Amino acid sequence: MNRRDVITRIGSLLDAPDGRTVGTSMRIPEALRDAAALAVEHLHVAPSTTALTAGALRSRLEAVVLQAALDSHYREHPKARPSLSDLAVAAAQLDGHPLASRPAVLRRAADAVVKSHPDADADDVLLWAEAQAAVVR
Amino acid sequence: MTPPRTVVLDNEAVHALRSTDHAKHPRVIAHVQVVAQRKRKAIPLDVVVPTAVRVEAGWDRRTPAAALVNHLRISDMPLESASANVAADLVARLDVSVADAHIGATVHAVADRGPVTILTSDPDDMAAVVDPVPATIVTI
Repeated sequence: MNRRDVITRIGSLLDAPDGRTVGTSMRIPEALRDAAALAVEHLHVAPSTTALTAGALRSRLEAVVLQAALDSHYREHPKARPSLSDLAVAAAQLDGHPLASRPAVLRRAADAVVKSHPDADADDVLLWAEAQAAVVR
Repeated sequence: MTPPRTVVLDNEAVHALRSTDHAKHPRVIAHVQVVAQRKRKAIPLDVVVPTAVRVEAGWDRRTPAAALVNHLRISDMPLESASANVAADLVARLDVSVADAHIGATVHAVADRGPVTILTSDPDDMAAVVDPVPATIVTI
């Protein structure tokens, strides 16, 4: 199975109706199971530990398969890969953040943040730029 | 600042995503990449396309040309009975296209989940169809 087929298949499985369930032989750490049971019983984070586990797994797979699709796209089209500053502007726009109208500020912030935090993401830059703007005011 | 819970695509945003040659492709891909980063942090966030927009944009999920956009976890919002009523009212009152009216109906339908953002090339029509629901309108 090539990468594209894997991404397609995972997407189809995630979109499939949740009606059918299966028992699995998946083994998880005992402490994790107990923590999940406590969270369900006392923090009411989900109707059951099964629902909590399935929800967390779905959420993780959604993120993984989306990033895999984007990474494949960037490999085929390197120019489509956004820079950190592009991402910071996009994040500000999605949030309706006031700094969305000041892309130059966000681009400078991205340049500054990435020097000390090479793994920073768009929200890191946005937070940093917002804090800087608050200090300057 | 609260991040959106739902991002809605209009016709132009769909075109930009589908074609790497589209001038706005990098910009809209950047928005999807931010969505991916937030999903990785387990922030609930859905990208949706009203089905009438998909029709207008010619996005047939069965075609090879749709491979990229099919992989980006963009859900269809169908024009079911309740949304059709809202959309019909918007068309009658505002003289907008069916696709734009379906965007308005979609925003009304998902607003109770949390903040909504629309990626669009037509901010004026979008502002009209979402009213009175508050939505962030991003002009691409």
